[in-house]
Amino acid sequence: MLKFENVSYSYPGSDAALENINFEIKEGEQVGLIGANGAGKSTLMKAALGLITAQGNITACGLPMTQSNLPQIRRKLGFVLQNSDNQMFMPTVYEDMIFGPMNYGLSAEEAEKLTDETLALLGLSHLKHRHNHKMSGGEKRMAAIAVTLAMKPELMLMDEPSSSLDPKNRRILINTLKKLPVTKIIASHDLDMILEICDRVILVDCGKIAADGPAGEILRNKELLEAHSLELPFCLAGPVGV
Amino acid sequence: MNTAEKAALEIRSMDDLASGRSYVHRMGSLEKLAITIAYILTIMSFDKYDGTGLFLMLLFPVFWYQVALISISTCFYKLRVVLPLVMAVGIFNPILNRQICLLIGNIPVSYGFLSMVTLMLKGVMSLMASFLLVATTPIDRLCRSLRRAHAPKLFTSLILRTYRYISVLLDETSVMMNAYMLRAPGQKGIAFKAWGSFLGQLILRSMDRSRELYESMELRGFDGEFYYCKGRAVPKGSRLAAVFTIALILIFRFADIPALISSVL
Repeated sequence: MLKFENVSYSYPGSDAALENINFEIKEGEQVGLIGANGAGKSTLMKAALGLITAQGNITACGLPMTQSNLPQIRRKLGFVLQNSDNQMFMPTVYEDMIFGPMNYGLSAEEAEKLTDETLALLGLSHLKHRHNHKMSGGEKRMAAIAVTLAMKPELMLMDEPSSSLDPKNRRILINTLKKLPVTKIIASHDLDMILEICDRVILVDCGKIAADGPAGEILRNKELLEAHSLELPFCLAGPVGV
Repeated sequence: MNTAEKAALEIRSMDDLASGRSYVHRMGSLEKLAITIAYILTIMSFDKYDGTGLFLMLLFPVFWYQVALISISTCFYKLRVVLPLVMAVGIFNPILNRQICLLIGNIPVSYGFLSMVTLMLKGVMSLMASFLLVATTPIDRLCRSLRRAHAPKLFTSLILRTYRYISVLLDETSVMMNAYMLRAPGQKGIAFKAWGSFLGQLILRSMDRSRELYESMELRGFDGEFYYCKGRAVPKGSRLAAVFTIALILIFRFADIPALISSVL
């Protein structure tokens, strides 16, 4: 589904943001991408989407990452941005949802059907004709996921999907993500959410992969997490102050 | 609410206006664009002393505003910053040309005054027509109609991105202004010495957000074409209404309507 072989990248005038990254994600896997601020999580996602040109070999959905393959690759990948305001650029949720499918050749009727199905799947049908600037942060985040799902991606990449959500909306998001039948890569500091959703975790630090393995194993390893500026998930840390 | 927030809200209220359901809103965007261009070109072609003919052309925007269910006062309110500039065009004409052309009662009207009024009318009417187009057509559909009229892809992409950039810029300005004011109590506006760094930061932040926004468009298949605006239901007779309106505009331009009316009466 997604394969990185010896991938490296440096921003102009900076140290390496990604250094010799190697991993492979298979179909159906739910992968959590964790790491401290500036560890390289977002850069890694950008490389997977072809938004930056990294050295090394990246293969997405069976296609090598080349300029000519980009449209086909991007059609199969869905990306949920950290800031939903940057993702929802059309006036209404409906217009945002048909944007991708129609750009990829679907007719207006097909795109509308897809929109209705996706909104119904997420229980968001009431948001269909809402104006983007009149929605709450939680609604926007859910709508952004719907917008990505409407493109029927084979692989979904999400950058901090639970940030700035209240507990109720965070719970709705987790339940929604758990039932989505698609391969996912979730970059987040919300380790409790990662533990709940993902079966595999990749720990990134200073642009390198520090650990890659089962989520339960890595997220229970206090020494490993603390060595890379992270903490145990709250649900595993025990009562506060004890 | 600071001024940038108010401005951002006004921009978004244009999107709200454009998402109306009136006949004009549902009309094909290319037809609306054609009517607007024909109207503005016709307005501009009037002689600078032909106030009567020009005055009659006001009937068109007045009629279409009614059909679009948009009040003319909304137009004047939204354009309140630009209108004085338009009105200022030709303001020196009464001084430059004092030759009397007619008398209204005992009051003499000079050619300069008449040309000033005509220029003002032309400006205001063109703005009214443009505003109606923008207030009844979302920017993407407007860009698509420009593409259908064979405008270059680069040009339409530029319009779309500029429109989106304005909102982003205003959002970022509002966030930065709030952050500044919270740490500068009692200050009116931003201190002159902070303008350099404020503007620099503003440009960098808004460029970052704009880049991310464009990337988001690219990731969903945007390549400069407006495929996603296709297939909207256009009311029957939309094209016919456009042809009829343009024909009527031309009749009003080239026929002597006041003479026709007086001959009938």
